[in-house]
Amino acid sequence: MLEVNNIDVYHGDLQALWNVCLEVNEGELVSLIGANGAGKTTIVESISGLLTPASGSVVFNGMRLDKEPTHKVVELGICLVPEGKGIFSGMSVLENLELGSFQKKSRKVKSETLEFVYELFPILKDRTRQVAGTLSGGEQQMLAIGRGLMSKPKLLMLDEPSLGLAPLIVKTIFEVIKQINKSGVGILLVEQNVRAALELSKRAYIIENGRIVQHGDAKGLLSDDQVKDSYLGTGSV
Amino acid sequence: MIFILVAQTLVNGIQIGAMYGLIAVGLSLTFGVMKILNVAHGEFLMVGGYIAFWLFTLYDIDPLWGLPLIAIALFLLGAAFYQLLFSGLTKFHEEIKMKNTLLVAFGLFLIFPQIARWLWTADERAITPMYSGESFPILGIQCGYVPLCGLVMAVVVILGLHLLLTKTYFGKSVRGTTENWKSAKLMGINVERTYLITFALGAALAGLAGVLVGMTQTVTPDMGMPWTIKALIVLVLAGIGSVGGAFFAGIILGVVESVSAIFMGPYTVALGMGIFLLILMFRPQGLFGKA
Repeated sequence: MLEVNNIDVYHGDLQALWNVCLEVNEGELVSLIGANGAGKTTIVESISGLLTPASGSVVFNGMRLDKEPTHKVVELGICLVPEGKGIFSGMSVLENLELGSFQKKSRKVKSETLEFVYELFPILKDRTRQVAGTLSGGEQQMLAIGRGLMSKPKLLMLDEPSLGLAPLIVKTIFEVIKQINKSGVGILLVEQNVRAALELSKRAYIIENGRIVQHGDAKGLLSDDQVKDSYLGTGSV
Repeated sequence: MIFILVAQTLVNGIQIGAMYGLIAVGLSLTFGVMKILNVAHGEFLMVGGYIAFWLFTLYDIDPLWGLPLIAIALFLLGAAFYQLLFSGLTKFHEEIKMKNTLLVAFGLFLIFPQIARWLWTADERAITPMYSGESFPILGIQCGYVPLCGLVMAVVVILGLHLLLTKTYFGKSVRGTTENWKSAKLMGINVERTYLITFALGAALAGLAGVLVGMTQTVTPDMGMPWTIKALIVLVLAGIGSVGGAFFAGIILGVVESVSAIFMGPYTVALGMGIFLLILMFRPQGLFGKA
């Protein structure tokens, strides 16, 4: 469904990504893991059109995306839930969700999608009129994910959904991510919480200093010695 | 007698203040949404005034009937100027964007009066339909038709704008873009188009205010900057981001000016600047802004 082929991405003069390739198949849950500053966010921002790769291509269901503006990418069915949630904090919960279905296609099925989101996150239904900025951190993350789903994406990219949240809430959120994936939405999960991400996903890519250094079956990576050593803290010393 | 003086002053103040509010709302919109301080806002107001003057003297069109025409004309003019001069700058980093757009807008402020002098000469123009000087008495107060029309129009426009921003998908996308343009993009909002329409809307609001100024005062090539400054004072008074707030702040300034005119005469202009400084020092978020 999504193919990222050999992209190089720069922030100004600084090169952030070298020759990055990755792939997400229809309905698959893939995670992208790596340390702070490795380039995870840069990858998802390049896919969503916030950044433009200097070379290489991004192809989604046969369409090239790498020169398209973000709203076009959303229209085609890729939605990014950004790091730090990026909710519209001065607007109500409902307004946030409504803006999620801004695209004409998703606007038509808005009420059904809204039902689906409320089913996943019942707490949002109780808070529809509340100003989004007054929600707790966990609720804000739920809102951000729900808002992303409102566009009816084929691929949902989640940039560090567990960031700064209490372990119990992280568990709930990961549970919902699983459920979303079961409903047929492909997911590209960016995480620093490596163990949780690997346990959840089918495949994973590991990125270091702007390069994909390892990829494969998530279960395999979980038992890989080098991964254990660098990311799970359980390797033999 | 004193009651009539106070009431009359209040009525005058509210009527002038509604005009201030209308001008400030346009400026507030462009600044809030795209962080462009359009110091050429008053120039759009001037153009609106002159178009109304043209419509009235050349085609005998009543300025109040001409309002929709002028709004459309200024909307298109604003859209054209945005596309031509500002759109290329919005992709830059916030600070560079702010500085460069400020320079461009300042350039417009230098050019517009010259063009106006060439098109309409430096003479003071006024739009004077038959009813312009007339008024009717109510509870002993004289209420002019034109200022009353202006007040009604300003209230209608502001209410319309409020409904647009809170009830429509487009309006919500404008507010979303104001709060977080990156997230707005990720929601599939064409932020560039939102900017274009918002800027054009700001120009249209300025144009409408220009008609009112033309009917109650005069239109001259150099009128732009004083009105921009007035709008800035109101904007600082209100705080950024609230349409209703900018409107009420306009009315507050109008009333304060009218009341102080009784005691201070021509020094009321300085009073506006004094308020500007005091607000910046002691309540920089404005009266209605969030801290």
